[in-house]
Amino acid sequence: MYIYLPIAEISMHIAIIIGLGGGVGFLSGLFGVGGGFLMTPLLIFLGVPPAVAVATEANQIVASSVSGVLAHMRRGNVDFKMGGILLIGGVIGSSLGVMLFTFLRDVGQIDLVIKLSYVVFLGIIGFLMLLESVRAIMRTRQPGARRRKLHQHNWLHGLPLKMRFRRSKLYISALLPLGIGAFVGVLAAIMGVGGGFIMVPAMIYLLGMPTSVVVGTSLFQIIFVTANVTFLQSVQTQTVDFMLAGLLLFGAVIGAQFGTRASALLRGEQLRGLLALMVLAVCIKLGFDLAIRPDDLFSVELLK
Amino acid sequence: MIHAHRFILGLILLIGMTGFATANSGRIVADLSKSNVAITSGFHGTDLLLFGAVDGNIGDDILVVVSGPPTDVAQRRKANRAGIWINVETNIWQQIPSLYTVLATNPIEKIASPEVLAELGIGTQNIGLKIVPETPIPGQAPPVAADFIAALQANMASIDLWSDETGKVKLTENALFRAEVSLPANIVSGTYDVRVLQFRDGVAISEDRTNLFIKKGGLSAGIYNFAHDYSALYGIFAILFAVASGWLAAAVFRRK
Repeated sequence: MYIYLPIAEISMHIAIIIGLGGGVGFLSGLFGVGGGFLMTPLLIFLGVPPAVAVATEANQIVASSVSGVLAHMRRGNVDFKMGGILLIGGVIGSSLGVMLFTFLRDVGQIDLVIKLSYVVFLGIIGFLMLLESVRAIMRTRQPGARRRKLHQHNWLHGLPLKMRFRRSKLYISALLPLGIGAFVGVLAAIMGVGGGFIMVPAMIYLLGMPTSVVVGTSLFQIIFVTANVTFLQSVQTQTVDFMLAGLLLFGAVIGAQFGTRASALLRGEQLRGLLALMVLAVCIKLGFDLAIRPDDLFSVELLK
Repeated sequence: MIHAHRFILGLILLIGMTGFATANSGRIVADLSKSNVAITSGFHGTDLLLFGAVDGNIGDDILVVVSGPPTDVAQRRKANRAGIWINVETNIWQQIPSLYTVLATNPIEKIASPEVLAELGIGTQNIGLKIVPETPIPGQAPPVAADFIAALQANMASIDLWSDETGKVKLTENALFRAEVSLPANIVSGTYDVRVLQFRDGVAISEDRTNLFIKKGGLSAGIYNFAHDYSALYGIFAILFAVASGWLAAAVFRRK
């Protein structure tokens, strides 16, 4: 059964949309990631206009983050103060991101910037994750390896406006999470992702937060950043497709449950290794698309 | 009423013709099986039947042109810069038909000469398409439509919006004709212009016009209008819906 998506203005088979939601939901449950970095490129690949894919995916991530954060809140794994600072930065960054997005769309370079952002950030993150998980797997086979410090201090922690974050056991400058939040916010708005795959490593390696609160806090702030993107895109570009988001959501919710169960079957470092390979695969695919001569050098877009 | 009226007119013509099967000056009447199409949630393109009667002789040809509401189209050209393919040039085609389908009883070049087609404004090269640079390249002359038209035709054909002779017109006894008009799923809403011409010996001897109205309808139109007319409210509603369904999902699966 085909369904006409009112904002994307294309017709898609309903099974494809729900299946896509389910598949990406499964992977996001399995790896504990939002899945936006897979969903947005896949939607574009299926013919959804990039602007609609990015804005609609933001709307869907609001839902998956709400459902994910509740479990973390029950376990007390959310640092609300840190999340609050991050989300202030995130709201500023994503607002700038939507403006940048609108500008790039008008000059016809949005596809390029979306793809380049994916190649660059997925490439870096995927490579680092792969390295890390290979090391972790090696380490489990070499008993007696030295333990790392809780966290290391560097010049970044010495910036002014110091603040105490009890839940994260940190006393650092508020400018640091504000800056990280803003940077990830810009990317979230342009790439149609929650940004967890950049936020989580940044929280661990740059802020030095304990890993137990990282995912919950990241999800908490993603809700607000993606809600902000949803609102601004609705107002500025009218590209949020409510019907598409709802159907993706339906599939993703169910898929995520199976993913979460499946994740119990694999070890943490194996999961991270697999996720790294998947991230790199998306990166390589998009990289090839940019590097290989397209069949048709011309493309058209109907302007409204 | 109009349908019935036209149909009766067609029948009268048909009866009239059977009586005088001699040389005639030609006359054509056409109508569509449906003149209003609603783009609803289940819309996946549609086929319409164009039918009609013609006062024809052996060897006459029927040519149908369906033209969608004019719209601006941005055409971009990619080139390799530093190893990657990026859009380097954008030109805007101004007010070109969002859909352009030519259907005929024979290949168009056999029906009439290029000069005749140009005079009648049939074919995308003959409808006075205008192109203007969006990103003028310094030191380069402004684009000439003729240089870009082949690429435009290929692009528009690849998204099913422009086509030549995709379906043929069937002519029975030089009197009745029918043709299937395919409308793809990505059509634009608005008023479509349908021209039906009768050709004899390379000359158009009669013509009829009709309109087709395409509108968004049902839930699909509701969402579209909500998003455009009350965009802030739409955004808030989309967020609340997402929060509620995320909450619901967590609650449902927690219990299990």
